[in-house]
Amino acid sequence: MKKTCCTILCAASLFTLPAGVTAADVTVDSSTILGIRQSDIEGAKKETLLPATQFLGLTADKLGDGNMSLHFYGWGRADLDGKSYNDDKAAGNLTYGYLQYRFKQANTNIRAGRLFIHEGIVNEHIDGISSRTDLPLGFGLSVFGGATVHAADIVGENSDGRGDAVTGGRANYHYRGLLEVGLSGVYESAAPTLLSRVTRDYRRIGGDIWITPIQTIDIIGHSSYDPEIKKFAEHSYLLNIKLVPQLVLTGEFNQQHDQSYLYPWTSFTAAVLNPNDKSSSVGGRLLHKVNKNLGVVVDYKKYTREFGTAERYGGEIRVNFADNSIHGGIGYHYLNAGQGFAITPNPSASYHELRFYATRDTRTYFAAIDVLGDFFKDSIYEENRAWEATASLGYHINPALALSGDFSYGRNPQFIEESKALLRLTYNMTYNAIGGKK
Amino acid sequence: MRKTNIRLLLLAAVGIVGIVTSCSQMKTIPDLPGSHPKVLAVGQQVDCSECHKGEQNVTLKDRNSFSHTPVFVKNHRFYAASDDRLCSACHQGSFCNDCHTNKIEMKPSTVYGHRPEREFQHRGNFMTLHKIEGKLDPASCYRCHGRANNERCIACHR
Repeated sequence: MKKTCCTILCAASLFTLPAGVTAADVTVDSSTILGIRQSDIEGAKKETLLPATQFLGLTADKLGDGNMSLHFYGWGRADLDGKSYNDDKAAGNLTYGYLQYRFKQANTNIRAGRLFIHEGIVNEHIDGISSRTDLPLGFGLSVFGGATVHAADIVGENSDGRGDAVTGGRANYHYRGLLEVGLSGVYESAAPTLLSRVTRDYRRIGGDIWITPIQTIDIIGHSSYDPEIKKFAEHSYLLNIKLVPQLVLTGEFNQQHDQSYLYPWTSFTAAVLNPNDKSSSVGGRLLHKVNKNLGVVVDYKKYTREFGTAERYGGEIRVNFADNSIHGGIGYHYLNAGQGFAITPNPSASYHELRFYATRDTRTYFAAIDVLGDFFKDSIYEENRAWEATASLGYHINPALALSGDFSYGRNPQFIEESKALLRLTYNMTYNAIGGKK
Repeated sequence: MRKTNIRLLLLAAVGIVGIVTSCSQMKTIPDLPGSHPKVLAVGQQVDCSECHKGEQNVTLKDRNSFSHTPVFVKNHRFYAASDDRLCSACHQGSFCNDCHTNKIEMKPSTVYGHRPEREFQHRGNFMTLHKIEGKLDPASCYRCHGRANNERCIACHR
């Protein structure tokens, strides 16, 4: 299946280039990346890896009577030398591929195929159908249903622990520009039994809200409830205050009930989740747009868990010049966290983080540099820092086609030394149009 | 029995009138354009207020709330969850799926190594940091790696 997917993607990328050029309503985004990695791990055979990866997106608009469109995105990888992941020399994935019909009234649409659903508390990936419409008097309705997309292979299991079918939807109501409330839910069919971990059926209901009491204030958020455990899973809310056009203040509150929120997480067995544990975070950000070219952000966040509290604070300065062709930024953050959050046996998880980046994009060439350093209060595996520097240089062959290369080098507790390089060929038809993904 | 039938008939009549009235009003509901009516130079117009002064969009939310300030980018999950129709007027789905996807081949910061100004997660040596950050805020891991995109997590976390 993976090889087939990979082959289809690679073949499709060849066919779509000429198609995109001749059809005005077809846009293609393609990135071909040739990576070069060398692994030299003590006790293991030295290996060179040459993975070639093709990312391909295609949108065909105004099909049929003009209201239909086709959307496709996926990737395929072939290892030209070595095996970059697991035992397969090829892999691929269809991220989405669906037909959409958009009616001329009331924001009504129908989508069918492989698609993502984002409705209130619902975030699902299905092979199925979805529809959404606005209704009179401020109401709205969306429904979806189909087969769950199973994307993970768990070693030693024949399932990813998720049910095979999923359905749900959202009903909403808005009152002028002041208020929007929504009720949403998702119901997944019974979870299969796994050999190595406990699984549980996935069902959620919840509500979301957007309040704008005055034009300068927004309150946005949602709460979700787990009917299986009969407890709230999550509360997540944002307060956004535009004090003056140049000054924005936000506050954020998040709380998750670990057992109900994290239980469907197949990466961890349910046995490690204490039924009474909660994770909370509260924080804020202040943005000052000094002028069109300069912005300053300071932020603070406090984390609370059963085994302790931690806080992170810092800020960054961002600049851009010459019609956004030059970007730059410098930032600093400090995490102050105790033993509960540390990597065993360290007494502290605290670390400083520094980042600097700069980019330059002209009609002919583009270049970027990115440096990130983490400085640990207590050494991790006898290293007291982790850092990585990446340099990138590219050439615009024409406005749509570009060739670039990246090289990065770093040192860290995990690999001591790590160097990577890649070559990237991008073909982007939406470089100056609506819907661009630049 | 007869009274029940009459009530049902009346209820059905009211229902039909309601549906017909609602359908006739569907045409009056403002429709969001499929894409931004004016071609935007990609990456240039991040501040909606440059053109839209104190207006609400068709979804009846203040357009300026969607201006892509650094703070908006950090908090964009709240806005996208509430109304992704406005996002799709300018962004293709693949723009979101660079990060939010079911199965990822390489880190977004690697795919877009030439775009360091974009806010990508897991830059640098996140392999070390995830042992701290995961304990700090497990929900931030779960949102992307909980029910999908977790094959590589499961390789170690069993």
